[in-house]
Amino acid sequence: MTLLDPATSSATTGSDRRPTSTRFTRVLGFLTLAGIGWLVLFGLFLSPNDATQRNRVRILYIHVPSAWLAYLAFGVTGLSSLAYLWKRTRSLEWDRIAGASAEVGVLFMGITLVSGSLWGKISWGTYWEWDSRLTTTAFLFITYVGYLAVRDLGGTHQQRARRSAVLAVLAMIEVPLVHFSVKWWRPLHQQESVAEGEMEGLMLFSLLLGIIAFTLLYVWLVMHRQRVLALNDLVDDRGLDVALADRRKEAEG
Amino acid sequence: MSDIDLSPREVVPTAARGKKKPWFAYGVLALVLALGSVFVVKFLTSAIDYYCNVDEVGVKDGCDVNRNIRIQGVVENGTLDSTRQRFVVTFNGVSMPVQMSSNPTAALEECIPVVITGKVLEDADGQRSFAGKEVLVKHDNQYDAENKERVATADAEADACSQRG
Repeated sequence: MTLLDPATSSATTGSDRRPTSTRFTRVLGFLTLAGIGWLVLFGLFLSPNDATQRNRVRILYIHVPSAWLAYLAFGVTGLSSLAYLWKRTRSLEWDRIAGASAEVGVLFMGITLVSGSLWGKISWGTYWEWDSRLTTTAFLFITYVGYLAVRDLGGTHQQRARRSAVLAVLAMIEVPLVHFSVKWWRPLHQQESVAEGEMEGLMLFSLLLGIIAFTLLYVWLVMHRQRVLALNDLVDDRGLDVALADRRKEAEG
Repeated sequence: MSDIDLSPREVVPTAARGKKKPWFAYGVLALVLALGSVFVVKFLTSAIDYYCNVDEVGVKDGCDVNRNIRIQGVVENGTLDSTRQRFVVTFNGVSMPVQMSSNPTAALEECIPVVITGKVLEDADGQRSFAGKEVLVKHDNQYDAENKERVATADAEADACSQRG
């Protein structure tokens, strides 16, 4: 049975057969794997111990790139949401990019919190402290968990897109709050290192390698995830299309 | 087209996804709101303990004697005793002896910055000490390779050698 009549199928979701991988994403996936392999090599074996923290410093190569990726993801979510809200660029593609990016951001913000907590235990002597950086980061994390819940409240694709876009634009304000919390308050968390020129050599190289590898991973994950979200929307649209096709057939019969 | 019956039907399996009750999403939202409130309260409650450098005790507003505060300083070299519960912290040339009431973290060492929660005490002679409950090791934003000095020395010797050649 032909599920989709081209004349009646929804114009909002896209084509019928759309794989989530393309040649570009396969190349990107390979580059991402290579980047993570290099990161493991440099982060665990080739970069030196820190003079103060010694071997404990190596968790930095996961913690900082994860945080960077989460910031990037939430930034993209906010900008895509703005693009959806702006009438001239309104498209559900923007909504799906925002949703996919937020999912990846929540995952990596979670990794940031867990890796930071483990680092805190071996470095500070505590898993958690209610200081400004830690608290604002945790707050940012649960805000985007809430954003994902709002996306799942039901309704049409357009209703989902509109309400989640408004929330995403508001939530984006939290990102600079987290970033500058170490300057505005006196936290246990350290100040910036790279921007202040307090890191160099192989340690800096390993960290930048981690940031590049995680950025590639982000792009790969979001491209696949937003295509899966498009397929989910397509399934929803098909339900409506099937019902309409059935009734049309009834009317004709 | 007007004779198509568009009244709702009972079973449209492929559309079921869109019809599910979003109870889970509502539950997550309620949890997020509750957790957000807890985070704000804990942060504000924690901020009640003033965060003072050692040199600000008795000088800066809020950094008073006999008040629960957090002080920041560097553990003075040669002052960490064998019990690891007594040491001296210094900041900007001002020192204060610390007596911990609990075993500090294993990461506590001399010559590293720390943050200690507790209370400043003052005896009859005006001498101040800090009764600490918890000590946290604070690392700054500087990262240096462990053997940087040795590498620098080797580089300098190599340079000198090449100049001699």
